Amino acid sequence: MTEEEKRSFLEKARQAIGDFIYGMASHESTRQALKTRGSMEHLFILITMGDLLGVPILPPYYSLRLLPYVVPQIATWKRRMLREKDLADALA
Amino acid sequence: MALGSLVFTILVVIIGYRYYAKRVDRDIIQADPKRATPATMYNDGVDFMPASGSVLFGYQFKSIAALGPIVGPITAIQFGWLPSIAWLVIGVFFIGWVQDYASAMLAMRNDGMTMGGLSYKLISPRARSLLLSFMYIYLLLIMGAFGALIAPLLAKPIVPVGFLILILSGILAGQMTYRWKQDLLLTTVVTVGIALFGIWLGTTQGSQNIVNAINGLAGDPETGVLFSRPLGYGDMTWANFFWAIVMLAFCYLGSVLPIWRFAQPVNYTSFWFVFLGIVGSMVGVVVATFTGAVNTSFEIPAYVTAFQPHLGPIWPLLFVTISCGAISGWHSLVSTSGTARQLEKETDALPVGGGAMYTEAVLGVLSVVFAATIGVAAGKYDPAQGYKLVAGAGGVFAVGMAKFMSVLGIPESLGGAIGMVFLVVMALTVMQLVLRFMRVASAELLGDKVPAFKSPHVGSLVAVLLTLFLITFGFWQWIWALFGGSNQLFAGMSLLLISIWLARENKPTNWSFVPGMFMYITTVAALLYVSVYNAIWKGIINAGPEAGVGFILGNLITAAFGLYMVVAAIVLFMDGVKAFNQAKGGVATAPAGD
Repeated sequence: MTEEEKRSFLEKARQAIGDFIYGMASHESTRQALKTRGSMEHLFILITMGDLLGVPILPPYYSLRLLPYVVPQIATWKRRMLREKDLADALA
Repeated sequence: MALGSLVFTILVVIIGYRYYAKRVDRDIIQADPKRATPATMYNDGVDFMPASGSVLFGYQFKSIAALGPIVGPITAIQFGWLPSIAWLVIGVFFIGWVQDYASAMLAMRNDGMTMGGLSYKLISPRARSLLLSFMYIYLLLIMGAFGALIAPLLAKPIVPVGFLILILSGILAGQMTYRWKQDLLLTTVVTVGIALFGIWLGTTQGSQNIVNAINGLAGDPETGVLFSRPLGYGDMTWANFFWAIVMLAFCYLGSVLPIWRFAQPVNYTSFWFVFLGIVGSMVGVVVATFTGAVNTSFEIPAYVTAFQPHLGPIWPLLFVTISCGAISGWHSLVSTSGTARQLEKETDALPVGGGAMYTEAVLGVLSVVFAATIGVAAGKYDPAQGYKLVAGAGGVFAVGMAKFMSVLGIPESLGGAIGMVFLVVMALTVMQLVLRFMRVASAELLGDKVPAFKSPHVGSLVAVLLTLFLITFGFWQWIWALFGGSNQLFAGMSLLLISIWLARENKPTNWSFVPGMFMYITTVAALLYVSVYNAIWKGIINAGPEAGVGFILGNLITAAFGLYMVVAAIVLFMDGVKAFNQAKGGVATAPAGD
């Protein structure tokens, strides 16, 4: 094993151990934070784009002004809202 | 002997992974690193989100390793250390990794569906309803088994102060991270430092005096007994009852408060004690073997008996007493609901799902080592009574941890307190999650008929009261057997689902179907032993005239739990085998509209 390979191996090992500890300690926290953000986004899109569902909360003028900012999120929002869920999701 | 057992297990694990698991992954499942996974296809940054294999390995291991691989082997060693280690090793080699890995693959190849959706799609709509109702009882039994084990530990004078300070430092961690926006490293150092100080403080005489004063507030002044358990399994002391309520209060807070405020930061701070405890104990075993500072030879015989009067026959009871470590249905829930939606590549499923399971088996053998080396000397097992476990199983692990960490220079009193807090937080981490799930489940199942269940407080309170009922009236080894039975049965159901999927894909099924049938038959037999022989035959029919109403009622409830699970399992089995045979014959069984 050359010096270069040894360094690369050690670097990979260090990275793997760091990832493992992060996975045990903090990954769940990260997911929960993202879920909270996701729920907030759901609400935001519902308030701003309620017209799409027949719930006109904001006047269409403002919805249209905001539309370009929301468009990138609409596909994943729709998928999350329409995906079939069951009780086991509560454990995820 | 201690180190030899661990090295042997690690060798078997390496051989199993290298020559069996990898072959299945390559030749049967044909994991393809280029095939898009649900995490990449449906990446929404929330439920479906790719993460690296090393991160997910840590996540999976932490999610599956709770009290199961610790308490199960410590209880089962009453049959001898050889049967315990043999089942751990053989179980994980042929069954455990199969379930964890294949359930992740099953979910990944089915758009990230969870167990409910998969049973609906692969078996029948009825299968989903049965599975979900089964899950509620299964999770209630987790609460009862873990709670019954943890309450007596919390009542020990050296534990509560450290535990309470650990909880407070966890809340501080949440405040520092989310409100004060402090650096994670600083938060970790401060909160873990405070928690460690708290655990040390709990071992001082002043703290113990305070706890003793609380423990003496009610109950019999001499014995502390509050009342006799109706099933005749000993007395409930005020101390155990009080700390059980405190423990459930924490679970309740974990269920109803925002996750970031309580459950998550407390789990984060607790994690460091679990992690350092496991690493410290493993290193301690190695050091003690070479220095001889602590006894490392086994004091419990390799084989004790095939029938422990207070447990039952070795088959089927050994196979449900040791659940996690060999195989556990809980893991399939984690693999399908959590991990499968985050795997970036199919080829990561084996190191993550299978690898975490193999690692847990090593933790199970470590528990056997603790029990076998120090259990008799510490007075936890009585040779005169056929090596009966005469103390709490949690205490065995805590004493073992204290002994082996003492060779690293950690005082035994502090090591013992760390060991006990370690067990309490390990159990509470799972109990909080389970209670949260039970609250959601009761809102979903009953919310329309009884609107009160839509309130998180009502759902949580009902689950807490049911748990308190189990803790107060049950004998924990029977609850543990019921819990183990339901857990292993869930594993059997998962393996059946996996087999149906494999049959539909025209892949070989024996490697999952045969273990699945073994688990099914064994666990149904165990549940029938507990519910029919123990509860109905011994506890009701032959109860004798001196048995009170409470005794009969308690046995009826035990029998009802066991029999419901047996009936649900048999109906699911019949539906499942029908779907399996149809899939083998090339007839798809997807429900209408699928």
